[in-house]
Formats: sequence, structure tokens, C-alpha cells
Amino acid sequence: MNLSPKNKKHFECSDIEKYVQQYVDNMLDEEKKRLFEEHIEYCLPCDKKVEFEKKFKEVVRLKVKEELPPEVVHQKLKSILKNL
Amino acid sequence: MPKNRQKEFAELIEPHLSSLYNTALRMTHNQHDAEDLVQDTLYKAYRALNQFQKNTNFRAWIFRILVNTFITSYRKAVREPQKVSYDDMEEFFLYKRLDETVAMQEVPKEEFLENLFDDDVKEALDNLPYQFRLVVLLCDVEGFSYNEIAEIIDAPLGTVMSRLYRGRKLLQRHLWNYAKERGYISDEFKPKK
Repeated sequence: MNLSPKNKKHFECSDIEKYVQQYVDNMLDEEKKRLFEEHIEYCLPCDKKVEFEKKFKEVVRLKVKEELPPEVVHQKLKSILKNL
Repeated sequence: MPKNRQKEFAELIEPHLSSLYNTALRMTHNQHDAEDLVQDTLYKAYRALNQFQKNTNFRAWIFRILVNTFITSYRKAVREPQKVSYDDMEEFFLYKRLDETVAMQEVPKEEFLENLFDDDVKEALDNLPYQFRLVVLLCDVEGFSYNEIAEIIDAPLGTVMSRLYRGRKLLQRHLWNYAKERGYISDEFKPKK
């Protein structure tokens, strides 16, 4: 059985730290995602930290993203087209 | 300008207008420049519309023009933060600081995030160097994928990832500093063993 770090069959807490950002962005490949989720399932301290990072990303979006009201969009669109 | 072409253009840009304004505002830091940046972007996009290939990613295409326009014409006018230190860029920075705060040890730490004001988060973002601010905005606020961001800012994937992760950590550091300065958390700290 190949136990080189590249092929290791479980994740340590240090791997969670290494991959948390990619996990939050859903950018891990299937195998890493599975190992990641396996670890946080039994490691409560890591699970809490990962949940916090997910929430952090969500909060940035919720507090920064603003939708203009439709009437403002139309008004801006009109002025943009006028200046083309 | 031919009316049909204008109408077609208006239909293409309308769903993205809020996002373009929001991004322009966070990048330029003021309403007036944001308006101009969006206007310049759309002027260029309209003229380059023939180069846009139908059924490809219009949203990424228009953001690429916004970013290029910002860099060539607006970036120099934007006040950049003082020299940023990249020490202390540990993962889970904010979580760990909150965990050392006596008042936060018994409550879910997510509450701290929920209770932040919109303006705290905007200010923290505005205080990131623009390369970091841009990538955090594109990923976390606008929901672009790493590959789309690489295309928009014309940089390799590795650069996108390192700017994004550093940007998020700097953001956490700013928010932690605001929380202390603005009295959102008590001063009592108890490092956990």
C-alpha cells in the first residue's frame, strides 16, 4: 500500500488548515473533499473553524453586495445609452 | 447609434449593472468615480461588442473590461492603504482571536460576524490593497469561480488563489482591529492552553 503523503488515506488537522479555503470555495477535487469531510466529521475543533470560515465568506457577501432598485437601474441604463 | 444594437446591448448589460456599480464603488471608493468607471467600461464594451462571442461568458467579459479600465485610468487616483504587513497571516486568524476572548468563549462565534455592521465590512474591504480587494470582491461578493477570476484579471490560477486567501486573512485582521477599537468585544483575553 502506498502511504506517501500524496496518497495518504486520511487528513490531519494541518491538512484542514491547508485546504480550508479551497473547501469553502468548493474547489477541492472529489478525493480531497471526501478526506476533508471525513476529518471534520469526527474532529469538532476543526469542524467549528471550518463552519466559521464558511460563515465569514457568506457574511462578506451579505454585507457588501447591494442590488440597485429596478427604477435606478433603468435610469442609469438610459443615461448610459445616451452617452454611447 | 443604431437603435437595435443599443437595445440588444441594454438587454445584455441590465442584469449585471448592480454588480458593476457595486464593484466600481468598492474599487474607486467614491460614487462619482464609480459612475464614470462604469460609463467608460460600457462605452468600451459597446464598441468592442463585435469581439464578444455569443454564448460565451458575458459577465466575465464585461468584468474584464471594468478591471482593465480601472487599472489603466483610475487606480492611480485611489488612496492605497499604508504598507501592509503580511506577518501574522495564520489560517483561522479571527476564529482563534475570538476563541481567546472570554466573552466569546461560550457563544457561537458566528454571532460576532452576524453582528458586524455593513459599513465595518465595507471599510475593511476598502482598506485592502487593490489587488486583494479585487479578488475578494470577484469571488466572495460576485461569486465568480477561480478560473473566471484568472480570466478577468489576466493572472495565473495560483496568483488568484494566493491573493484571495491573503485578502481574506487581511480582512479578518482589519475586522478584529475594528472590533477592539469600537468596543464590540471586551478587552479580556484568556489564551487557551
